[in-house]
Amino acid sequence: MCWLCDQFGDMEYGNGVWYLNPWNYARNMYKIREPGKVFAVREAGPEVVTEAGLTPPGLINAIEKSREEYDRIIEENKERIRLRRQGNQVLPLKDAEKVLELCSPMGLMECMCRKGVRAIDERNEHEYTCMGMGVGMLKWERWPERYKGGVKFVNVDEAKEWTREMDKRGFVHILMLFGAPYIGGFCQCDYPDCGAIRLAVDFGFGTLKSHYVAMVDYDKCNGCGICAQRCQWGALKFEVTSEKANIDLFKCYGCGLCETSCPRGAIELVERKSLPALAEVW
Amino acid sequence: MDIPRKLPKITIDHEKCMVPFLCKKCLEICPQAVFWVVCIKEERLKEMDPRVPGLYKLSAPRRDKCTVCNKCIEVCPVDAIKIEAP
Repeated sequence: MCWLCDQFGDMEYGNGVWYLNPWNYARNMYKIREPGKVFAVREAGPEVVTEAGLTPPGLINAIEKSREEYDRIIEENKERIRLRRQGNQVLPLKDAEKVLELCSPMGLMECMCRKGVRAIDERNEHEYTCMGMGVGMLKWERWPERYKGGVKFVNVDEAKEWTREMDKRGFVHILMLFGAPYIGGFCQCDYPDCGAIRLAVDFGFGTLKSHYVAMVDYDKCNGCGICAQRCQWGALKFEVTSEKANIDLFKCYGCGLCETSCPRGAIELVERKSLPALAEVW
Repeated sequence: MDIPRKLPKITIDHEKCMVPFLCKKCLEICPQAVFWVVCIKEERLKEMDPRVPGLYKLSAPRRDKCTVCNKCIEVCPVDAIKIEAP
């Protein structure tokens, strides 16, 4: 079981999946912190998430030192993420739409990662590629630099339409936690500009895989290769021998970008837990 | 990739690189997305102006991905980037 479901899931509501449990959206989550710890504003800011996402402290230097040091720092960071409950999780479009029905408020904003990595300055609602979520968004006006160009608050229908547009463009949807179950952001990620996806692809931690994996129906697949352009995880390739798409399910993060792009409906998202060898691969 | 391995050392002269968020040439050209730019003097209720020298700072946090292709050095208008090959 993914550790977030373990801690925040409810079998009665949302079938044990943490982000489908309406209680996680109904509580005053912004105030919930680790017992005895003071809430620091900068800790919750998206730039901290992305800076740390890009370079967990000491990790890059550890590459020069030793394998042991490198492994130790990764373990240390995994533990830190659990303690601060800052894990992120990939969501396929269909689950993302369910989340958008539960969470409020939602505001479109600029992406902190693209701002940092490529100096992209998203100035208005037509350019925003990130969504801030939860009551923390109501304080956006205090930090105009963090929300350059402002925020466009959206309703459920607008949020869904925007997300489908992002999906069409090829962005991976990642639900971002600023101390679970407080959900701070619904990121639209792209390798290599985005902290969360980069940490996962380059170092194998920081972002949990989704509750699904993508499987190809070889009878329907005609080998057009459209899906192969969309995989950000190095999991899907065009298999020359069979002239069909091939997915390594151990590498698959279950983002569903291949599924939503397939013109023949040849890719299906199946539940991770239905495959015994994958049930604990997060 | 092998660990441990030597990594390139990237030095940025912040006396020369004063408006990285405005210039952004290295950030855009790097094939490996090694660089990161951030506002170092964020103020409450104020949006910072990228034209003001020194408000934004360029760094190279992902030097592990650097291939020393030197494209950033070629494109830098103020000659602020130095890379030491591993």
